[in-house]
Amino acid sequence: MRVLWANVEEVFREAAARWTLVAYASLSTLFILIFAVAVNLDVVDGALAGAKLFGKEVQMGSRSVDLDRLVLGFEAGFSGFLFVVATFLAVFATAHLVPRLQEKGTIDLYLSRPVGRVRLLLSRYAGGLLLAAANVLYLVGSMGLLIWWKTGVVHPRFFLGAAIILFTIAVLLAFAFLVGVVTSSTAVSIMGTYAVFFLAAILAAHTSIEAALSAEWAAQLVRSLYWVFPKTAQLAQATVFFVSAGEGFRHAPKIDFLPVYGSTALFGLASLGLAARLFSRKDF
Amino acid sequence: MTPLAIEARGLAKTYRKGLRGGGVRALDGIDLAVAPGEVFGLLGPNGAGKTTAVKILLGLTRPTAGEARLQGIAAARPESRRRVGYLPEGHRFPGYLTARQTLSIFGRMSGVAPALLSSRIPLLLERVRLSTWSDVKVKRFSKGMTQRLGLAAALVHEPDVLLLDEPTDGVDPVGRREIRDLLHEEARNGRAILLNSHLLSEIELTCDRVAVLRNGTVAAEGRIADLTASGFRYKLAGTGLDDGLVELFRSSGADVERVNGHLRLTARDAGHLNALVDAARGRGVLLTELSPLRSSLEDVFVDLVRSDGPVGGKETP
Repeated sequence: MRVLWANVEEVFREAAARWTLVAYASLSTLFILIFAVAVNLDVVDGALAGAKLFGKEVQMGSRSVDLDRLVLGFEAGFSGFLFVVATFLAVFATAHLVPRLQEKGTIDLYLSRPVGRVRLLLSRYAGGLLLAAANVLYLVGSMGLLIWWKTGVVHPRFFLGAAIILFTIAVLLAFAFLVGVVTSSTAVSIMGTYAVFFLAAILAAHTSIEAALSAEWAAQLVRSLYWVFPKTAQLAQATVFFVSAGEGFRHAPKIDFLPVYGSTALFGLASLGLAARLFSRKDF
Repeated sequence: MTPLAIEARGLAKTYRKGLRGGGVRALDGIDLAVAPGEVFGLLGPNGAGKTTAVKILLGLTRPTAGEARLQGIAAARPESRRRVGYLPEGHRFPGYLTARQTLSIFGRMSGVAPALLSSRIPLLLERVRLSTWSDVKVKRFSKGMTQRLGLAAALVHEPDVLLLDEPTDGVDPVGRREIRDLLHEEARNGRAILLNSHLLSEIELTCDRVAVLRNGTVAAEGRIADLTASGFRYKLAGTGLDDGLVELFRSSGADVERVNGHLRLTARDAGHLNALVDAARGRGVLLTELSPLRSSLEDVFVDLVRSDGPVGGKETP
């Protein structure tokens, strides 16, 4: 445990020193403050009777809006936004962890300690994941509390939706670690991971792509890639769907739990496992 | 029986050059043995295999053949490094950490309890003259200070074996002397020290034994006094060392040269030396000094390195 916490402490200190943590927390705080100051709701008997945005009255006509549904809609939309932003920021803030560790003059300092290489790599991974989790929890937690303060409405599923975001970050971070071990380059790690994110999102439409392809082998390749890659688009959809209690993406195809989460988790485990194996066999 | 602190047998390493190419043989079956309490120097020109040997000892690189052990435990196993402190050449501690944080993090990574570290770190920083800099970020440190911090980090878990790569690099003369004293103190406390350095004068002043690596093999190994001994070569000083005496010495088979008013002579053996002294005294010479001449470690090193063609790793098919 000492090794784990020493690594986690170092990851957080580095994030603070590189202003990653400060910049992310500041941007999140700014976003929260804008929401806190700009939105003023007039709630009467659990329904929204009036609203002001940046001090200006929002025309609502004669109808009153069900506040619970309105909040749920906002939370679902915000979760979708957070899925993309938090994932990208997490990869950006942690992709350097392995390349920096492998730098000449640095790796010797770590590997000369009585710590197994796999343990060292997994400790860094845990540190990176905790850093990303701290960021996501800060944003989701603050926004949830703010919504509660403004409307008196609390939806636990808004907080729980962060788990799907963290799951996605964990898988992409594992891939970033694999690229980092192989290339020792932060830039390549970030670009490679973003490429996987987008390619996987495109592959969500694999049935349409396959239908458009004339060669069977090409269709087979697309289908294989779809099953190999993490299901980023479906996970974003699942986040919104979960937070909105089934209201969001009502007309979208149903998400099968096991294939989506299972194959994504497998991709993450395979990436981390391969990263650990390559790291433990590498000559420095 | 107490195991050797550092042991290498038949250690070989070939670095692959590419997928189809051959390789570069950095080490070609070296044997090393360092006992507890001994200061051992590893010398050699660039590319001789010194760093590769140290990296294998630390499990950073895997040997192609042979085996390495630290305190009897195979070097590939992390447990072998539990009682080993290492100062790499050109090390880079995270610049955002203070000296205290650096020692705390690396101490915990070596398995030291945080409570123990909080009492040990100030003493260690005092020992390497960094106590006033303990809460300053490492990025503000000079090269010499970084080096001293590296030494403190190598000692933070009170290891039994120290592997030091250029420990005095960038350190001023006073700091060098202090590091030397510190290493001698550690050796007196029973710690085995392997020193890898280009500064031959430092090695000469610090080490008990040395090994000179050349093209991945041990070209020479032994006590410094033995390696630098030059047979029956002596400096002879006194009054009345005239040309007649020089001729007399030469006629007896001695090799003689006059240097700055004294003579440098090489005798065949102890008997021949005594005969030369008797002859000098017989001619009324008043001797003021008769001392054996030694080669410097640098002379020995240069002779060894130049004796066998170009240096560097060997190409293998």
